[in-house]
Amino acid sequence: MKCSLLVRRAAPLVALTVVAATIAACGGGADGSAPAGAAGGPALSPAKPVRGGTIEYGHQQEPPCISGGWVEQAYISRQVFDSLVSQVKGGKIVPWLATSWKASKDQLTWTFKLKPNVKFSDGTPLDAAAIKTNFEYWLNPKTLNSTVADYVGEYYESSAALDATTFQLKLKKPYSPLLSALSQGYFGIHSPAGLKRGVDKECVDPIGSGAFVIQKWSRGQNVTFVRNPNYNSPPANAKHQGPAYVDKLVWKFLKEPAVRYGSLTSGQSQVIYDVPSVDWDEASKKYQVLRYLTPGRPQTLSLNVTRAPFDDVKVRQALAYALDRKNAVKSAFGGAAEYNGNGSLSQSTPDYDPALADAYTYNPDKAGQLLDAAGWTKKNGDGIRTKDGKPLKALVIYGAGSIINADGATLLQTLQEQAKQVGFDLELKPLTLTQLFGGQYSTPDTYQATPGYWTSPTAGVLYIVWRQNLKDRPNYNNSAFYNNPELEKTIEAANSTLDPAEQKALYFKAQKIISDEAVAIGLYTRTSSLAIDTSKLRDVWLEDSQGEPVFSDAYLVKQ
Amino acid sequence: MSTVQPALSPGGLPGSRAVAAVAWERLRALRPGLTLAALALLFILVAAIAPSLLTSRSPTSIDLGATLQAPSAHHIFGTDQAGRDLYARVIHGTRQSLLIGLGATALSMSVAISLGFLAGLSGRFVDGAINRLLEVVFAFPVLLLALLFVTVFGASATTQIVAVGIGTAPGYARMVRGQVLAVRGSGYVEAASALGHSYPRIIRRHIFPNAMRPLVVVVTLGLGQSIVWASSLAFLGLGVAPPAPEWGALLDAGRGYVTKAWWLEVVPGLTIVAFALAVTTLGRYAQQRLEGANQR
Repeated sequence: MKCSLLVRRAAPLVALTVVAATIAACGGGADGSAPAGAAGGPALSPAKPVRGGTIEYGHQQEPPCISGGWVEQAYISRQVFDSLVSQVKGGKIVPWLATSWKASKDQLTWTFKLKPNVKFSDGTPLDAAAIKTNFEYWLNPKTLNSTVADYVGEYYESSAALDATTFQLKLKKPYSPLLSALSQGYFGIHSPAGLKRGVDKECVDPIGSGAFVIQKWSRGQNVTFVRNPNYNSPPANAKHQGPAYVDKLVWKFLKEPAVRYGSLTSGQSQVIYDVPSVDWDEASKKYQVLRYLTPGRPQTLSLNVTRAPFDDVKVRQALAYALDRKNAVKSAFGGAAEYNGNGSLSQSTPDYDPALADAYTYNPDKAGQLLDAAGWTKKNGDGIRTKDGKPLKALVIYGAGSIINADGATLLQTLQEQAKQVGFDLELKPLTLTQLFGGQYSTPDTYQATPGYWTSPTAGVLYIVWRQNLKDRPNYNNSAFYNNPELEKTIEAANSTLDPAEQKALYFKAQKIISDEAVAIGLYTRTSSLAIDTSKLRDVWLEDSQGEPVFSDAYLVKQ
Repeated sequence: MSTVQPALSPGGLPGSRAVAAVAWERLRALRPGLTLAALALLFILVAAIAPSLLTSRSPTSIDLGATLQAPSAHHIFGTDQAGRDLYARVIHGTRQSLLIGLGATALSMSVAISLGFLAGLSGRFVDGAINRLLEVVFAFPVLLLALLFVTVFGASATTQIVAVGIGTAPGYARMVRGQVLAVRGSGYVEAASALGHSYPRIIRRHIFPNAMRPLVVVVTLGLGQSIVWASSLAFLGLGVAPPAPEWGALLDAGRGYVTKAWWLEVVPGLTIVAFALAVTTLGRYAQQRLEGANQR
């Protein structure tokens, strides 16, 4: 969550991009493979495909730039970009721009063979040199994509174009999550000619080789994409090879849940994102509903260990026991998200430890005992526990609407009430996007707890979130400010291990440390959902690295 | 005796018409609108001062087994998405809403009176400077000014008060200045001056009370308006932090459920309307009475 320090250093627009990237990190930045299956909906009746036409899509929020390091940017920039590889269910990597790849024995040199004759929409060739330019651009402090840096920054040594279709990446140490990381939208390949125009232009009109080209961004309303007629580089897991079926894609920003769902029921959109929980049951009956439980860090409550009261592990554990998270999530979200008790990894992440889901089952008595043992024995007039005259109070800040949606806000209020039952006063403070990423709330003295996610297709995300926050190497994603050298070493070892069994054991160990220390309390899976009116539109899908909606295979139908 | 006959006759129409007319006259004399407004205001005041007299339920207690229930005998205004009783939330939200409205009105009046009197009583230079300042601030819509303020200082009840207070002050300040100028040029002030009264005494005894009288009405009207502004800010998510049951915040929270749970939107909305109407009705009445008193 705490990505904002970066922003202070950078020029405004760069800052925005960086911020967004950081948001991804804080909020949720990576991706992962998760079940992207139909959760419900009517059986498809036969219908006639129509060539051309316009897809009207209702999305829930507008990022500050189209491309960057926030998952919200990956969703939209995926329409414009292709990546080196794609990830399918179960974590398998399939070809995309790279038709094949090979790692050296020591896993330090990766050689990618590229699809020939691929061109960016500006007509320039997508070759190995272009990919090298992208890596250098992402990791250049002036044009930093902080999410790319979070993934590969500590591992990246150099890149080289061996010939037009052979790209080579050299690492400092082995990094087994590499291919999963590359499959995410943040690693979408930009046109080097486009990058030369500068960050301002790249923010609003990035140029890629993807199925769509940006025609116009009407801020606050929508982005209009038109079909790239020369598209020849879909991923291997696409439903068809070749250009998109439709002529146009209108990506509308409909922030209000009722308005968004209403645009589907009224026919103004054929497909919407983030189905509101209150409409979930109806949508599941009337429409095709796709649900993707995003892997990586789920929505978790990070507890700031540098300040009272969460500097005491007993108090952190007490809070975890005091909250009936399972029922609260069920009530707030219905089918729109799942409870995720493990605070380190989402249940759809490879190497997730399911045993930790029930590490802190609801037990208010135990919470009370722990608080007693921690010295919070007295209660004041409001029923709040006190110690040395000070009330047991914690400020919880959250990005309202951006990181935590309306259903998530309901959940936080429910948890607040449950905490009160054991004498724990949680004060909720909703922040606007500007406040959240502007830097006022990024330091340890500004809050005691904060919820956040980090979408990622790999357990390697643990390194991004829990790497120590040191003076010479700050980690803005470590929103609990929890510095544990043993934890960092364990995750580092896991990332560089080549043996899958050993790697799993190490990731499990890391999750156990985080759970035992109760530095992050698991809440729910960050969930991508689509409701599609299949009487008008077919074959929209959610890809598997982090649930980006894919429209290049979609077609309109006539009944 | 025979004169009462028509009224007793089976046809009886003229008589009952007369009775109805009398009843209507009496009812009009009672001024049902005014009575209703007074009753509504009384109810709202009780809710603000002693909410527990009107409901025994807590406005924040959660019942996950009873979410989004329609109004019923058990929950007369229904429940929200966390199973909280909406009636309890509206009642308990009254104090906060009222305090914000009162605070904002008080602040804007203090600013307006200070600036208005300063402008009206000072020389041309100060008057001009204050006027230009007011014109600049006046050029911004109230809500825009308030939004700017909340964005800079963060959302809380205090910023809501200050934002709305500062936002509405210029309008009142001009009104005060106009009154001061009018009273200053009146015959009785000239007379007092001719009689050799000191300037501070004239201000205290004549200008202040006479310039302030029409403002009493403006204040009552402004109170309703302030609550609407404050609710608007809360509706935009720039008000008190959840789960505080402020009216505008309730309206904001109900927005996402408007198609499935209308009561979450309609009840707080009607409450704000009812309060603003009641205050305005009483304000108008006071205005009429004061004008009548002036004429006499």
